[in-house]
This record gives sequence, structure tokens and C-alpha cells, in this order.
Amino acid sequence: MKPWSRWIGKGGPKGKKPAGLGLKRRTVLGAGLVGLSGGLVFRIQPRTSKKSFSPLLVRPPGAVAEQEFLARCVRCGECMKVCPTNAIQPAALEGGLEAGWTPVMKMDIGYCEYECTLCSQVCPTQAIRPVSVEEKQKLKIGLAYFDKNKCLPYAYGRTCIVCEEHCPTPKKAIWFEETDVVNIRGERQRIKQPRVDVDLCIGCGICENKCPIKAEAGVRVFSGGETRNPENQILLSGFGG
Amino acid sequence: MAMMRRASWLVWLRRLTQTFFLALFFYLFLHTVYHPINRTEGPIKLFFHLDPLIALNTWLAWHTLERAMLLSTVTLIVTLLFGRWFCGWVCPFGTIHNFFTSVRGGPAKAKLATGGYDRWQRLKYYLLAGMLTAGLVGVNVVGWLDPISFLFRSLAMAAYPAFNRGVVALFTWLYDVNPGLGAVRATAVTEPVYEFLRGHVLAVQQPHYHGSVLIGALFILTLALNFFRARFWCRYVCPLGALLGVVGQRPLVRLKTTAEACNDCRLCLTDCQGGAGQQGGPEWRPAECFFCCNCISDCPTHAIAIGVGRKGEAKNETLVALDR
Repeated sequence: MKPWSRWIGKGGPKGKKPAGLGLKRRTVLGAGLVGLSGGLVFRIQPRTSKKSFSPLLVRPPGAVAEQEFLARCVRCGECMKVCPTNAIQPAALEGGLEAGWTPVMKMDIGYCEYECTLCSQVCPTQAIRPVSVEEKQKLKIGLAYFDKNKCLPYAYGRTCIVCEEHCPTPKKAIWFEETDVVNIRGERQRIKQPRVDVDLCIGCGICENKCPIKAEAGVRVFSGGETRNPENQILLSGFGG
Repeated sequence: MAMMRRASWLVWLRRLTQTFFLALFFYLFLHTVYHPINRTEGPIKLFFHLDPLIALNTWLAWHTLERAMLLSTVTLIVTLLFGRWFCGWVCPFGTIHNFFTSVRGGPAKAKLATGGYDRWQRLKYYLLAGMLTAGLVGVNVVGWLDPISFLFRSLAMAAYPAFNRGVVALFTWLYDVNPGLGAVRATAVTEPVYEFLRGHVLAVQQPHYHGSVLIGALFILTLALNFFRARFWCRYVCPLGALLGVVGQRPLVRLKTTAEACNDCRLCLTDCQGGAGQQGGPEWRPAECFFCCNCISDCPTHAIAIGVGRKGEAKNETLVALDR
């Protein structure tokens, strides 16, 4: 017998020693090969190339770069259970089949609480590495952007400052540009239109969560600019970014 | 019908241990919350750190292992020396399957028909082999099927939110209707109970999760399969059980029979949880045995006991009288 056959095969001559696992070497190798080739097929998906990123794949703060994240995360749901705002949700197919049930932030359900690092504390495999509150408050998990076809001051010429009021960063990541717009009666009217400061926004998503438009908010967070994936950036370094 | 037999004290010890670990699992589950401050209480990740499958897969996939994961070597060493006690005595998912298997009941004859070893039990080893090679290239199939992970996910995303919804609805209804007789109202009792539940068991806010229907359906499926075969998940699917089976297939502690006492009635298979084959002797498969000790209770001639050493048949002098 080959040395490792001892561990998969019979315990010894029948009737003398207790029965072993009774596995067939060929089937073990076959199963291993299926896993390996299946794994490699997953590994050639565009999402694993560091060129293609899902805008919807906003991971909790402290999440490591996507490839390492997928290798570590066991989809146990600890982070989803502990999240105080219920923002962390099991992914469907946002990150491809292999990212099924990994944690993604859904800002319509919750948002990333500025003072909280619980998900990074409870992750058993350090797919979300432990971060301090100070570090977390500087980690970008994504970036907010305005949907000008929906956001009230842009689309309808109505005053709304809800997102700016909730923005938690010390210097607000949402600022206003005062603009003249024409209202429904044809009169010129001054209105504050919100803008995102790309340097200050950490993607916490409270703006999206508190936006009065509930069915897909007027301001939303996408994964662009996330700290964990150096390739998924918005600003080219050296160009004043 | 077979005479009702008093369970071996080992069975009671096992039930006690299982209850303890299941209660600990639920306790840690309920404490995995934001509890006014940004810190969780207690060893929240204990069961994950005891899980050598997660440790092995993380190591294969990313070649690193955090220090806390070294706790899983305890499980490995215990299994290597003594067999799959983890499955029968510690694993919270195993305990839940054990519970549903016991609920099934049924006549001994029917249980006996499916109590023995089934070649399909090898499936879990083949699944494990495939999962680990997939893990080697960084695809985490283990995460979907690891029992600790599976249980926590199912509880967190389906069972617990549904439970929470149900309890809140019940107590809200009781509060609104407030049935009673004269001055004695139900709320006098139900409100303090509700207050306690809100403080210790229920969620601060009703949790909602995308995909909870699928997660819940798979959970119910694994539980329902216990009615088809005792501890179906543990016997046929569980990758952690497979890993522990590989490691623990030559334990130092074994179930042994005394040849003169065994009359080959095979009643030891009636309540066998793992489908380990006829106890003692050459047919018994240590890799499939959870050491649940039900066979010790079931044996009408008290021929089975736990003994030390790698030989299947017990000599009377090496046996510790454990059957009663």
C-alpha cells in the first residue's frame, strides 16, 4: 500500500483489524481534481482580475482586498448578526457565485455607524481584520454619488439638506453649491445643491440611508475608491488627487 | 417491542455535555450584538476557533493562520487520540441533529434497518477532498458547508429573525387583547415575561436579511433529513465530520465487545447515530462513530463497553465496567 492509502483505505486484512474509511483512491483523486478545476474556473472570473469591480460590492470596514477576502470569509454571518444597523447583508450574486452570502453593505437597510467596529471584532477568520475606531473612521469603504435625476434639489428644484446633516465626518463630506434654478412658474430661484467631497467621504452610507427617497435613494454609495482594493480607485495619484 | 432499557450513565453524561455546549453556543450567539458599547462580551468566536476545518482551509487558501485559530489543534489532537467525540459531544449543529433524530422515534425495527453503515457515507470524504482543493486555489466552498458556519448563518439570518418576529407578534397580540377573568388580566404575567425576553433574548430591532428564505429553507432541509436517516448531515455531508473522521480513524479509545457476551443480535445499531456498523469487532468503523454510547444502552447482554487500546475485542481485565 502507498503510505497515504493507509489513511483512506481499509484498516487491514478483513476480519483482523477494524474497518477503515474504505475510500477509493481513484474517487478521492477525482473529487480533488473536480475541486481544483472548479476552483480554477472561479479564479478566471473577471471579478478576480483586479480589473473588474462590482459597484455594489461595498464591504464592511476592515475587509481585506477582494481576493484575500474570498479566500478567508466563511460566510458565517457573525458580522451580519452583530451589525447594529442591519446594514451588512449576505450577498446574492453581486460579487459572482463564489461570493455568495459574503457580507455586503446595503445602505437602504442600514448604514455604517461611525463609532462602531464590531464586525471587525467578531470576524473569526480576519476576512475583516480588526481595526480601531480611529482607523475605521478614515477607512473608505466606498464613495457617495448623487443621482441628479432623483435628488430633490437637482431633479425637482426643492430644498433638501438631509444628507449633509447626517454626514458624520468631522468636516462634512457633503457640501453645497448655491445655484440659480428655474422653478415651475418660470421664476429664478436660488437653491443649495449637494456635492460630495471625494477626499472626505468614507462611504458610510448614512446619506443614502436617510435620503427621503426610499426606493433607491437620490444619493448612493458604490465601491469606487475603497481603501482595501488599491486598483479600484477614482483619483490617479500625482494628479492632485 | 424491545424492553425499555435504562440509558448508560455515559449517555446521560453526553446529553449533559451536549446541552452545555449548545447552551454556550446560543449564549454566545445572543451576545453577538452591539451591547450599548462598541465591544462584544465573552469568547464570541470560540466555536469557530475550535474548528480545524476553518483553520485548515484558511491556511491552504492564504497560507496564514491567526493565533486564536491554534485552538483548533486541541480538537485535532483529541480526535487523533480518541476519535470523533467532538461530533457526538460538542458540535452544536450535531446536537441539534441528534435532537431531531430523537424526535423521529419510530419502532426499533425500522430504525435498525437504516442504523448500520452505508457506503454513501463516504460521500462526505469525497466532498471534503473537493472542497480542500478548491480552497487551495482560494475558493471557499468550506464556508458554505462548515457546520459551525452553516448553523450560525442559518440562525442569524433565518431562524432568529423569524423567532423574533413571532414572539413580538404574540406578545403584542396578548397586550392588545389582554384576555383575563375579571380583575386578573393576562398582561400581569405576560408583560414581565416580555420585558425579560426583550432584555435577554429578543433583538433590539427586528433584523431583516436578503436571501433569508433560501438560507432558512436549506436549514429546514438539513433538519428534515434526520427523519430519513439518523443524523443525515453528520453521516453523509459534514466536511468537518469527514476531516475528524480521517484524523480520528485509529483512536486509542474504542468501543469493545466481549466475544462471549455478544450474541450477534445487532440491536446495537438501533440508535447508532453515526452509522458506524456493528459495535466492537471488525465491522465497527471508528471514523463513523460519534461515541454517543447509545449502543452501550441498547445492548441486551451488556457486551459493549469503552476500552483502551487498538484491539477490537475486549479482554475482561482491560474493560472498565461502564455499561451501568
